[in-house]
Amino acid sequence: MASPSALRELQRDLETKANDLSKLQKDIAKNHQVRKKYTIQLGENELVLKELDLLKEDANVYKLIGPVLVKQDLAEANANVRKRIEYISAELKRLDGTVQDLEEKQNSKKDAVLKVQQRIQSLQAGKAKV
Amino acid sequence: MEQAAKKGTVTPLASLFPPEDTEKAVRRVKETLVEEQAELDRVQGFISDNTSLISLVQRLPEDLHHDIMVPFGKAAFFPGRLIHTNEFLVLLGEGYYAERTSRQTVDILTRREQGLESQAESLKVMMRDLQAEASFFGATASEAAEGLVEIREDYVEENSTERESQSGPPKEGAPRFSEADKAKVGVKDEEFAHMMSRLDELEKEELGNGRNEVNAKVAVDDEEYARMMSRLDELEKEELEAEFGDGRDEDNAKVAVKDEEYARIMSRLDELEKEEPEAEHDNETDEEEKMRADFDQLLNQRSLDKNLRYSEDYQSRKLLERMRDKKSATEELLNKHHPQQDLTDQLNCTGLTVQSVPKDEISHGTSLAHNAIKSSPPEKAFMISEVKENVQAANSSRSQVPDQTSKPGFDSHKAFPGSIIEHTHNIQTNFSQQSGTSSQPPSSQPSKPVSRFKMQRR
Repeated sequence: MASPSALRELQRDLETKANDLSKLQKDIAKNHQVRKKYTIQLGENELVLKELDLLKEDANVYKLIGPVLVKQDLAEANANVRKRIEYISAELKRLDGTVQDLEEKQNSKKDAVLKVQQRIQSLQAGKAKV
Repeated sequence: MEQAAKKGTVTPLASLFPPEDTEKAVRRVKETLVEEQAELDRVQGFISDNTSLISLVQRLPEDLHHDIMVPFGKAAFFPGRLIHTNEFLVLLGEGYYAERTSRQTVDILTRREQGLESQAESLKVMMRDLQAEASFFGATASEAAEGLVEIREDYVEENSTERESQSGPPKEGAPRFSEADKAKVGVKDEEFAHMMSRLDELEKEELGNGRNEVNAKVAVDDEEYARMMSRLDELEKEELEAEFGDGRDEDNAKVAVKDEEYARIMSRLDELEKEEPEAEHDNETDEEEKMRADFDQLLNQRSLDKNLRYSEDYQSRKLLERMRDKKSATEELLNKHHPQQDLTDQLNCTGLTVQSVPKDEISHGTSLAHNAIKSSPPEKAFMISEVKENVQAANSSRSQVPDQTSKPGFDSHKAFPGSIIEHTHNIQTNFSQQSGTSSQPPSSQPSKPVSRFKMQRR
């Protein structure tokens, strides 16, 4: 009978698929973490922007670069922060896209795994009958 | 239980939610709860740090200089002196610093505090939700262990009305719109409906009309409005007590006529009211409270649509009466509606200042008015919606009744998310996910309505 070899093959198939699935899940988790980090950064930047907006024109603004504080123009700082916010937002959007993509992949993988499991089960049941 | 239902199915709860899975869910929710608690503690630590920092920053400029110990490396300090006590270099975030004075620094810090407070608030809300979820999971687990069954039936219109009539009367015993009351004070009811319709009418008219003459008329209209209100109270009182029924009917016939008649009616009402002992008032307020409680119960215990149907049954009856009265009432009441809009907020005070009737009565009346308003939002809500259909007037957030309508909506909203019903969806999906991972058929989805009903009871 060919069923033992077929069964073995199916099981190997299942294993690889399950591995893929877990890899995908790991990716998604990592993505979520990055996303969280960016969200926090975005919040911080927005806070900074708010405070910078509240500052008067002649206020002294410094930026910490490495170990030194470098004096910066308020307008310059403002522009920098704005740019940064833009960048982070774009990044967040990109991450959203990838997460969605990954989740789709995950779902299809899940389906595949389920199908293989069912086939194995039916094969085993057939064997038990025979 | 009606297990013989034609299209019902009975499923043991344990098969839908295996006990061990539910236990797992409980554990998971508890874990997240602990995490949230830690986060909340962290945020609260930030808040307390921030407040102490604010007080420090406020205190520093009080002196020209402070003697301090300056940290030097990790373990060493040396004595030093803090000067320029009104200059702060504030870290705004992302490596940006700004030179600020003490005052400005405190401003920044208070803004930060507000942000932190809102964070803590949202965390608390989340924790409350999680707690509700956990308790629900626990209850489901115990129920499943007890071998509870779930009965599923397709939703049919007649069914619901049947259930309505079964469950309706006992709950409506207290409200004044119950059957018993209707029988007792059918006429009063009608009159009340009439008055309500006029109020609604006024509000609708007010929307249609310009508001330019408002100011000119306010002084006169206040009085009329107060009269209207007290009369409305009177009617409600009558409904509740069904005591002085005599003569009301002819009043009813005349209601929609002239102001002199109003004055006459009012004087009579005043007389009646004076005779009225204070004790009755207490009784009424009690009853009103009961009614309110009952309505809350209704909101809680039934799904909204059922509620709606019930009130609509009642309202459609009202509407007929109202339609009859409406035309005659409309014109002469037209000029009375303006104060209402201005007075809604300070109903009490205006009533006191404008009316010349005994003080006793006014406080009496206004308190009643408040009670009535509070207790009858569901009816009012539907009344309005129906009136709107007829009059085709736009909504106005300023007029009184729309304001009131927003209240029940809010209440019911509050009632629902507060209870477990809102979470049913999450939970169900959660379960289905679980059963999905354990490769069981996720069959819990279509059963939502009934299980929700069941949950509501608990």
